[in-house]
Amino acid sequence: MVRRLIGYLLTLWIVLTANFLLPRWLPGDPLSALLDPTSASYVYDAEVRAALAAYYGLDRPLLAQYGHYLSGALTGDLGRSIRLNRPVSGLIGAHLPWTLLLTLTALSLAAVLGLLGGALAGWRRGSSADKVLVTLSVVISNAPVYFVGTLLLIVFGARLRWLPLAGGRTPFATYPSLLDAARDIGRHLVLPALTLTLATMGSQFLLVRNSMVTVLGEDFMLVARAKGLSSGRLKWVHALRNALLPFVAHLAAHAGLVITGAVFIETLFNYPGMGRLIFEAVGARDYPVLQGAFLAVSTVVLGANLLADWVNQRLDPRLRHV
Amino acid sequence: MRSQRQPQPKHKRGALVFGLTLLASVILVAFAAPLLAPYDPHAFVGRPLERPSPTHRLGTNDVGQDILSELIHGARISLIVALGASVGTVALGTLVGAVAGYVGGWLDSLLMRGVDVMLILPRLPLLILLAAFLGTGLGQTVTVIALLFWPTTARIIRAQVQMVRRRGYVQMARGFGGGAFHILIRHILPEIGPLIASQLVMAAGRAVVLEAGLAFLGLGNPAAKSWGLMIRFALNLPGLLLTERWLWWLLPPGICITLLILALAYVGIGLEASLQPRLEGV
Repeated sequence: MVRRLIGYLLTLWIVLTANFLLPRWLPGDPLSALLDPTSASYVYDAEVRAALAAYYGLDRPLLAQYGHYLSGALTGDLGRSIRLNRPVSGLIGAHLPWTLLLTLTALSLAAVLGLLGGALAGWRRGSSADKVLVTLSVVISNAPVYFVGTLLLIVFGARLRWLPLAGGRTPFATYPSLLDAARDIGRHLVLPALTLTLATMGSQFLLVRNSMVTVLGEDFMLVARAKGLSSGRLKWVHALRNALLPFVAHLAAHAGLVITGAVFIETLFNYPGMGRLIFEAVGARDYPVLQGAFLAVSTVVLGANLLADWVNQRLDPRLRHV
Repeated sequence: MRSQRQPQPKHKRGALVFGLTLLASVILVAFAAPLLAPYDPHAFVGRPLERPSPTHRLGTNDVGQDILSELIHGARISLIVALGASVGTVALGTLVGAVAGYVGGWLDSLLMRGVDVMLILPRLPLLILLAAFLGTGLGQTVTVIALLFWPTTARIIRAQVQMVRRRGYVQMARGFGGGAFHILIRHILPEIGPLIASQLVMAAGRAVVLEAGLAFLGLGNPAAKSWGLMIRFALNLPGLLLTERWLWWLLPPGICITLLILALAYVGIGLEASLQPRLEGV
């Protein structure tokens, strides 16, 4: 486990360094262009320009810039947003909780539904219900997530008017009680979370279903059946428990997938999370925000991977000595 | 337990045929685009936001361009990006994977460490960052996708090369003094050929998704009208979802992207099944 931790810290360092080097190495010199009065992306606001010059320090030697950048990143100084003239770390602090709310809701929903559906479909493999579910999950997990989201938005938001069209909460609303706040935020969460659940559920469903099919062919299942165990016990205890390992092992791999989905979904639903922040920064070519967001999202994904590694080791003793 | 073993499950053959048919029709549309499209997709040929009519089968967009013509020409963009990015991705991945698998030793460890790091990173935010810095030309999009997505291929190719390398005839060719390059091209490449083909198809599907996604996020090339860009422009119209306009402006490009991705996914599933006939029932 200690070796894993060192591996992740090394990866984090590579992320930090890449984040530092990429904008400085890429052709076109996008950072100097911000400070160059003759270029199209020149920043006219003198205060912002001074903050940018101080943060990037392009006139200093590269190593000094690197030291300044690293110590800044470790103490939470990620520069200032060009568009909003506010510290990037503050922006991330305001947006990250929304993304965590959205992704964790969707991930848990997708995990439960994927597990149950996959187990049942694998148990009754070859049945027409199984075939329909497999085809559906191939189609939905392949369709662009923002397209699926738009369709849901049209049906439930625009036609039926059951749910709000955009945002994370009602603008300017004041909540008399915590319950009202939860209800408003919950109502805004339904459609984005449903879209993200649909987008991630397909691969989880297929994974569980396939490992279920594999487990059902094992000899110990034949023995269990011969012992006369009830089909419920066979299905949920003997088969599913063994089909669970690959599922948990892939949960970490889903973290990246979920983040990708969240970026598009938040853009589509105007949901105030990291994806929306990235989208707005892209529009204004707000490089400090883009870099900070990449760093924050990478850290979260690395943390999720570390957590999944730890859970895997607890579940599967064979991994402890690897 | 698994006694009813079949050489290749029937529904996998069906997947391959279905995917290839769909893919062939998209390719056909892309090649024949100037013949099929009623108008030049960049020409202003009608009033803005016309409803579908015999002159404009899918109406016009917010600046009066024919939507059907945009849709037909959009197939070209998706296919160009798919082809460029998949060839780039797989070429890079095969190169790294083959070298790592064949040479082994510290070079292998180093390359695979790099692959591990790249596989953990959230690649969409990185893709967005790179695309924002590099600009939005089609060439840039293709390059950035290839640079970020080769590691998956590299890992798969490496495993296969390692396996083939240990086989008797390769060992013998080495014993007779065959050079590394000769052995890689002559003996190993034919063995990993089918794998490369299935990797190409998967990379192509991913490239279509990513190109459309970048366009949706505003990192598409405004001069190259892709399906993703059409969706983005449609959604930019305030209140689009409250009128019927989405039916002919947003739905068609969305369906086209989904069909193309599905076609590639099914070809991939079919190819994989014919590569591993023993992996049945899955």
